[in-house]
Amino acid sequence: MRGMTDIDRSDEAALVRALAAGDRAAFERVYRQHNAAMVRFASGILKNRASAEEVTQDAWVSVLKNIGGFEGRSSLAGWIFTILLNKARTRAGRDGRSVSFDGAGEDDSLAAAFDGRGRWKDMPELWEKMTAERIVAGRSVLQHVNAAIETLPPAQRAVLVLRAQEGLEAGEVCAILDISEGNMRVLLHRARLAVRAALDALS
Amino acid sequence: MLSCKEVADRASAMIDGELGAWEMLQMRMHLAMCKGCARFISQMRITRDLTAAANTSGAVQDTDDTRISAILSQRHDGKPHGG
Repeated sequence: MRGMTDIDRSDEAALVRALAAGDRAAFERVYRQHNAAMVRFASGILKNRASAEEVTQDAWVSVLKNIGGFEGRSSLAGWIFTILLNKARTRAGRDGRSVSFDGAGEDDSLAAAFDGRGRWKDMPELWEKMTAERIVAGRSVLQHVNAAIETLPPAQRAVLVLRAQEGLEAGEVCAILDISEGNMRVLLHRARLAVRAALDALS
Repeated sequence: MLSCKEVADRASAMIDGELGAWEMLQMRMHLAMCKGCARFISQMRITRDLTAAANTSGAVQDTDDTRISAILSQRHDGKPHGG
């Protein structure tokens, strides 16, 4: 996974200026780029899609109101997700729940895949036809991927969305979620194993 | 020599380019001889790429225009606050 280049940064600075100026096209671009991931992220925390959509909408209003104060110390996406997480925390708190991404939690989905000497019990399949365009059971492979992400435990889901989908830097993901880099790597790996298992079931 | 389980545990670190030279060599030695692990690493790369591709798939919805307008109309309501 790559970091931001200088071109990305100047591109982003121009985008931020356009957002601050109230440019609708710029807002549409940012909205379409991040909104689905924001709802996916928030519904992992709130366990409710309708609340996640409301909180995401609130976060967008806050993003536009405060864009003048964005100084580029983080990426724009990192800043947007920080605002979203604050909104989701407030909502979860109102429902009497606290939000933490600490602890790797569950076993990985490969726990039973190996024999006592650490060898595969069953040889992994060759995924010859696993492409984005393929349709299985009426849904594209990409829709199956997002459905699998929506079944992940909250911490795994948060890391997968921020790091593997939104492409935030590792350090930024750790700062937003308040977790260590080691913990983030375990969560990312486990989340990916779970998505792999869901894809394997399609093949 | 790494076991298949140890290779699988290091799969994400490998495909994300986070292994050191010695660990990478150990992985390559195992993968050269083990078809199961070679397939598994390939599956993990496909999973990584499809996960990234899924981010904005189906993200455009009929309700977007209404929502975008609603958000833009609220931006000047009330006072800005910290965020």
